[in-house]
Amino acid sequence: MEPGNLDSPGRVKDGLRQQGYIASDEVATVLYLAQQLGKPVLAEGPAGVGKTELGKAWAGAAGRNLIRLQCYEGLDETKALYEWEYAKQMLYTQLLRDKLQQVLAQANSLGEAADRLAAEEDVFFSMRFLLQRPLLQAILSEQPSLLLIDEIDRADAEFEAFLLEVLSDFQISIPELGTLRAVHRPLVVLSSNNTRELSEALKRRCLYLFIDYPDPQAELEIVRLRVPELPAAVGRQAVELVQRLRRMDLRKNPGISETLDWARALLLLNAEAIDPDTLEITLSVLLKHERDVQRARLSLAREARGAVQDVEPGEAPRWEN
Amino acid sequence: MGKLSSVDTRIVSFIQALRGDGLRISLAETQDAFFATQSLGMLDREAFRAALRAALVKQHADQPVFDRLFPQYFRAGAPPMLSAAKELSSEDMHLLRMALESLAEEFRELLGSLLEGRRPADELRRGLRASELQRQIEALLAELERLGMPAASREQLAQLLQINLQAVLQEAAGEALLRRPARRPLGEPPADLLDRPFRGLSQSEQALLRKEVARLAARLRTRTALRQQRGEGPRLDSKATLRAILRHGGVPFEIITRRRRRKAKFTLICDVSTSMRPVVEFLLLLLYHIQDHVGRTRSFAFIDHIEEISDPFSQHRPEVAVPIVLRRLPPGYYNTDLGHCLVQFSARHLEALDRRTTLIVCGDGRNNYNPARAELLESVARRAGRSAWFNPEPPTLWGTDDSDMLSYVPQVDAVFQVSNLRQLSQAVDRLLP
Repeated sequence: MEPGNLDSPGRVKDGLRQQGYIASDEVATVLYLAQQLGKPVLAEGPAGVGKTELGKAWAGAAGRNLIRLQCYEGLDETKALYEWEYAKQMLYTQLLRDKLQQVLAQANSLGEAADRLAAEEDVFFSMRFLLQRPLLQAILSEQPSLLLIDEIDRADAEFEAFLLEVLSDFQISIPELGTLRAVHRPLVVLSSNNTRELSEALKRRCLYLFIDYPDPQAELEIVRLRVPELPAAVGRQAVELVQRLRRMDLRKNPGISETLDWARALLLLNAEAIDPDTLEITLSVLLKHERDVQRARLSLAREARGAVQDVEPGEAPRWEN
Repeated sequence: MGKLSSVDTRIVSFIQALRGDGLRISLAETQDAFFATQSLGMLDREAFRAALRAALVKQHADQPVFDRLFPQYFRAGAPPMLSAAKELSSEDMHLLRMALESLAEEFRELLGSLLEGRRPADELRRGLRASELQRQIEALLAELERLGMPAASREQLAQLLQINLQAVLQEAAGEALLRRPARRPLGEPPADLLDRPFRGLSQSEQALLRKEVARLAARLRTRTALRQQRGEGPRLDSKATLRAILRHGGVPFEIITRRRRRKAKFTLICDVSTSMRPVVEFLLLLLYHIQDHVGRTRSFAFIDHIEEISDPFSQHRPEVAVPIVLRRLPPGYYNTDLGHCLVQFSARHLEALDRRTTLIVCGDGRNNYNPARAELLESVARRAGRSAWFNPEPPTLWGTDDSDMLSYVPQVDAVFQVSNLRQLSQAVDRLLP
């Protein structure tokens, strides 16, 4: 199937699969709709469930350029939209001084000289001196593109408001150049780790997609697709263990990316099965906090001894009055 | 615009029901739902469901509401109705027809359609009363027994009738639900919620309150940022100045300055002891949201010792984080010791304060007759740019019994009584002049 032909949810699903992304029916349906309605998709969910990966796979499946904007605290228009390249402008002015003199030399009056200069103004405020940041790139892109706005929850609320404006009509006014309109309306994916509430207005404009950790079967399928060389039995065991880790009260649950890293590590170690020794060596691939590693070790050892399953934290003591 | 189809009206009333349950769904989202379902068609129920959900529900926490209401409006879960003719032998059917004759006219038709697996006509169903129908079914079965139908067949028939009856009743219930007017549309919190004390709020009121607290935290951040923006002196904006110089042919005519934007910074300390428990979840929630909205916030909780709780707050959703904190600091018996906690704080955590920090202490100042150490609070508050104290008790109680509040009051810039949302809102407004 050639990329770009995504005219039904089923096709979207197949397309994503070819890109190495296993999508649920819901994901495929929502992406299909976003394409049909021209709406951004807001993908929310815990870290490491493949939200960014979804954006990339979608771009691949739809045959579009991926343009990525990584958000962070303090991100502003100059970093997201455009900026004039002052240094380059200045350099050009210096170098073109003689030429400018020439142009102006034939002028008879000051007024005429000014007019001539004004006629050349466009040279300095042209696309040549415009540093295009991701948002502007997505708007000006000659090829159809997909804009991935990653971790929008990290950006400030002010930036969110600014983004709203861009996302609603995909046009940008640059005072020196006029209004630039999108050649092709880009597909947009916003990802959020849910660390803060996004504004109602932004959510209203998006189709919402919550991506959770996959169930064991889906995760196993992902592992098989991405790390095909791993023996099936090891893969199954690995996924089982990861799913068990996610049920523990950890600071950071292992995401799919960690599962895949781990699967690759197991492959490199030629592991035949996940025995305590292998686990001991490789647990740090899955868990990124020392405290988590200790806790997991403890709980797994307890389970191995056949004792109580992982202790469910009881309800917090509540004061009754 | 054409006339609405029956599915469209169904979607409209579904949206009303969602709104009735507290979801905020705008007109634009309603429109999206229509477009989405149109471009997918109705054949695939799961796709239809995914489309509506993506268009209407924008918060993970609201998805259970959607999942609960969806089957009530877009039926599919109801078991298919069975037909007696397919299940019974021809002799049994003959007996059944005879038995039906013995029933009253109005029920004959109703039970007849139930037996054939048809949905009864509307006018029949309207008068349908489950208990009466149940009695008629029993009468029918008794009649069949008299006519000599085998027990196995009767058993089978009874089951079939039950299944079909359930299906019809479910449908009727669904429609009654559709006619139910949507509950009060939510928007502004009801006026009295503002004045109700934090203790003794219902679940939905708590949810509302949580939203309000989140809003207040956002306001607090904006106000702090604004204030600090005003406070800072102007600084050279090198890029803009460079451009200005360019404009003037290399002559630095104009120096462009910009007011540096300082991010707000908070340090929050909350008493989670027994005397505070009724309001503590709210204060912790306030802390949580402030930390959520303001990047550089550090939160502490204390009873007899002080502990930093920034970590659970930054890693979990509020409904998980608050219980974690409460579990970490279990309430004891008369063991609050703010004096000691101030000693600990001064020894370990003073780096959490600088002149850009706003310090907020939440507590009732009830110290169980332990030394107050108000002089430590003074030095702590002096390090912070601004300090405030939120106390849930009314001022008349300050200084009574074991309350050391009166000795703490002069040490901080502002003290507010915060026992309900209105007071909290006022405190946030007045915290930064």
